[in-house]
Amino acid sequence: MTSHRTTRVALIDRSKPLRFSFDGKEYQGYEGDTLASALLANGVRVMGRSFKYHRPRGPWGAWVDDPNAIMTVTLNGHSFPNCPATSTPLVEGMQARSVNAWPSAAFDIKSGLDLFHRWLSAGFYYKTFMWPNWHLFEPIIRKMAGLGDISRDVLEGYSADQVFDHCELLVIGGGAAGLAAARAAAEAGKGVVLVEDHPVLGGGLHQMAEVEGLAPADWIAEQVNAITSAGGRILTATTAFGVYDHGLVGLAENGPFGTAPRLHRMRADRIVLATGALDRPITFAGNDRPGVMAMDGACEYLARYGVLVGRKIALVSNNSLADAAEVLLAEAGAQVLRLPPHDGPMQALGGKRIKGIAQGAKRHDVDTILASGGMTPLVHLWRHAGGKLNWCETRQAFLPGAAPDGMVAVGAVNGAFDLDVSLSEARAAGNGKSPDLSPTSYALTPLWPDPGSKGRQWIDFQHDVTLKDVELAARENYVSVEHLKRYTTLGMASDQGKTSNMAGLAAMAAVQGRPLPEVGTTTFRPPFVPVPLEMYHGHHGKQLWHPLKRLALEPQHRAAGAALGEYGGWLRPGWYGKGEAKQLIHQEVLTARGSAGIFDASPLGTIEVMGPDAETFVNFIYYNTIRTLKPGHIRYGFMLTEGGIVLDDGVITRLDQNRFVISCSSSHVDSVRTHLEAWRQDGNNPDRIFVHDQTQHWATVTIAGPKAREILAALALDVDLSAKAFPHMTLQETHFEETPMRIARVSFTGDLSYELSVRCAKAPALWEAVVKAGQALGAAPIGIEALSILRAEKGYIMVGKDTDGETMPHDLGFGVPRLNKSSAFIGDRSLHCDKANATNRKTLVGLAVPTGAPPLTTGAHLVDGTPPRSQGYVTSSYESPTLDRPVALGLVENGAARIGETVSVWHLGDIREATICAPCAFDPEGERLHA
Amino acid sequence: MRDDSGKWDAPLPSGYVHDANGMTLAAVTLARQVLISGPDVLTQTKQPIAGWPDIVTADSYALSVRRDRVLLVNGPTVSEGWHDDIGQAVSDASDAYAVFDVSGERSLEVLKRGAELNLDVPSRSVARLLFGLGVFLYRYEMENSFRIHVASAHAETLVKSLEGAIAAC
Repeated sequence: MTSHRTTRVALIDRSKPLRFSFDGKEYQGYEGDTLASALLANGVRVMGRSFKYHRPRGPWGAWVDDPNAIMTVTLNGHSFPNCPATSTPLVEGMQARSVNAWPSAAFDIKSGLDLFHRWLSAGFYYKTFMWPNWHLFEPIIRKMAGLGDISRDVLEGYSADQVFDHCELLVIGGGAAGLAAARAAAEAGKGVVLVEDHPVLGGGLHQMAEVEGLAPADWIAEQVNAITSAGGRILTATTAFGVYDHGLVGLAENGPFGTAPRLHRMRADRIVLATGALDRPITFAGNDRPGVMAMDGACEYLARYGVLVGRKIALVSNNSLADAAEVLLAEAGAQVLRLPPHDGPMQALGGKRIKGIAQGAKRHDVDTILASGGMTPLVHLWRHAGGKLNWCETRQAFLPGAAPDGMVAVGAVNGAFDLDVSLSEARAAGNGKSPDLSPTSYALTPLWPDPGSKGRQWIDFQHDVTLKDVELAARENYVSVEHLKRYTTLGMASDQGKTSNMAGLAAMAAVQGRPLPEVGTTTFRPPFVPVPLEMYHGHHGKQLWHPLKRLALEPQHRAAGAALGEYGGWLRPGWYGKGEAKQLIHQEVLTARGSAGIFDASPLGTIEVMGPDAETFVNFIYYNTIRTLKPGHIRYGFMLTEGGIVLDDGVITRLDQNRFVISCSSSHVDSVRTHLEAWRQDGNNPDRIFVHDQTQHWATVTIAGPKAREILAALALDVDLSAKAFPHMTLQETHFEETPMRIARVSFTGDLSYELSVRCAKAPALWEAVVKAGQALGAAPIGIEALSILRAEKGYIMVGKDTDGETMPHDLGFGVPRLNKSSAFIGDRSLHCDKANATNRKTLVGLAVPTGAPPLTTGAHLVDGTPPRSQGYVTSSYESPTLDRPVALGLVENGAARIGETVSVWHLGDIREATICAPCAFDPEGERLHA
Repeated sequence: MRDDSGKWDAPLPSGYVHDANGMTLAAVTLARQVLISGPDVLTQTKQPIAGWPDIVTADSYALSVRRDRVLLVNGPTVSEGWHDDIGQAVSDASDAYAVFDVSGERSLEVLKRGAELNLDVPSRSVARLLFGLGVFLYRYEMENSFRIHVASAHAETLVKSLEGAIAAC
């Protein structure tokens, strides 16, 4: 075995062996291992296959910077796809499988694709699969593409806890700089939270022999003790995956494997970024082979897990950090060969395992190649927050530049690769200072991809993007880095540019002959590491996914056998009873027309407008004239947007000189309230107008039908119900069981109708009383479905169903109110524009079908010409049990002037005939309404 | 058009109480809730006015909802409508808001599942978004007892969210 476990003291617990399997073969690791470290300890190098060419891949890094070792892990019968092996903690009984490989990563049957690589360059499928039709190829390409398969199992209990939190100072990164900054701040009295994505604090310190005269573990323990003693909090195994507006940082706190992470929405007054830096790959021929690894990654495997990644190691580095790595590896027993990368083009030799490295004419027999092309600071979070980057010529890296509000970068992310410098600036930052860029002992010779050089050289290991792909993109003029990224997929998926970005940018810069900083970087976006969607989902599932408003009378509806469903954001009765829904609904319609329907209208808006300017205000809000409305009277009207479009319809009641009640559509209450509040504060004196949304205080029971008056009379209320004393569109106030009751004589069915409103606490008693009184006269509860038919028979509209985003009031037959209105109102100006007065506007009409024909389909288009052109569409369509024929409403071009015209109605290829008619199909004279 | 009745839990029973993880969530019945708006309402109100994170100890009190609005809790009967003499709009809102108490040592942790709460950052208003719902939130009688007024049609949603948060704590 090339890679193997050493006896070096590490962070694993050798007294706790763990059994697991990979691609069907059994292995053993220890508690504290990751899947990758345990496999390396067992000599396994090939842990995955690349995305496109299915080339064998071993781990490049030791943590979140590894793009290669991705696995589906099964534990306790549940599978979790796309687990990064380098950051997945080993658990007893884990069964890991490589993704994108069959039957195994070591022998993948699709690896033959690599033979065709000359024809599979970047963008090949954009060009190749155009003829005869992309969709012909799409299924098989989609089947082959992607990494991992989502398990079809429903994992009960896999639910992410979500917590809002706040701190004065958030330190991101628990390495030397992070610990030092957190300690300084905590001891200065700040409320500090330190987060570290590893389960163990310390970052790269575990590679060192000592820190400030102490063993690393002792130094770390001392900092932890100081931080917690001063009241600081430390979250390990917690990744800061994104920075959002106003100092909000997303933290994913990982629990045991197989549980959803906890999401912390951390609001921090200040943030110290101590995220460190990563080794970047060197671009040479065969640099993707298993056994070519990051120098720092190899040191981490040794320091944290006691795993030496090779016995004969070629160390290829252009920077001074290689000196310490060489010592560390050699002390662990490796033969280390330093190869200066500038001495000539290199090539990794071997296939699934490294046999050597060639440089020029020289060949060196090694089993492992460790590469370090310089350090890349992890500036992802800095950029999420809007921080700028500066190019550092000395370090050959983008470093944090102009800082976002409340954020400071310290340590390696700030280019401080020397421990003493890092600690010094971290302590300063912990005390509220912003460090400048410090001098550094870090030295490197620039080393970037060489366009035109020989061999297949990988830029992005995960997506099989090679140097030639970047050259191709440049030739095809995808020279912007954002275009390069999307054309080649460079830096996408879990890598997010961690390993591939700099090499890709440098290659593009070299191809164009431009300085690297001039090419710039792609946009950094959250999340920094993959996180389960469940974490964002949180508790918003099942009934909390889209919670509905619940009626005060729901128990009564359930007891009456109501079929409840969502109607306009409320859980409401669609119909009552068990059996065939259509028959039940039609029976409810006939009951309402024959006797009366009893209906829960509680969701209708009850919005009070009060104050000395209330009259002027509602007159301005409404399209109709409200100023002339007398107390105790009701008026139907429209609210418009500034564009003159119908926002809502409904009735408004005047209770007294300074008090109005707006009864808007059930589903529009929130938007109407917002509309009123916005206009109250804009152009009006908000101290003289007040809007109280009383909707949920009141419950409304409607009795609609020819026997409504008799039913209401049975309640023995102190109200004169005669038509003369209580005419249509008036309101009476009385008491029901000693609480205030409002009775509005308004109708949405075309029949005599009363809306009885009481406070919700009294609603059950009122409902029971009305139902009992109604039963004696053949009346019964009806649901929304029946109501929808009743109102369509009468030609009454539902805003949003029988109107669209262009409907103006005159399109609905209400052109007169604006002619009579003498004062300004919202939407007035827009009603005078050319488009508002065009003759081809879609207007509301009824649609009749030939005798015996079935109802039209809602949404079907009225068409003419060849090819067919839409003139409008059907907005509502029902079988009317009252009329024993279908009724329909529609919006049709110039419809009001085309009454009697026969039109073609198209739906899914079928064409039918219909005749345009008046919208009202029931009691057009209104005798029943005014009975 | 379908029957979704079975997808939704039955409405809350009267006198709802939920005890778990050392915390109690209980429905509260108040004598009266009255919404009062006016340009000077905050100075005109006689009852003690609560903001965040005040601890209310009185039986009758007012919640500061916004600069020109209070919710008078358990106050005297006030006639509804516009009061021209004092420039106040008055509406009975007794049934508009369902009220719940969350109490227990970790009750603040429970509420932090639904909102960004900080006892160190005061606010004159008790209006909050909790689990995405508009609520009035303040402390009642004890440091670890929080009272929540939520639109009554959202009572089931709030309770289900709080039960989940209690289970997670």
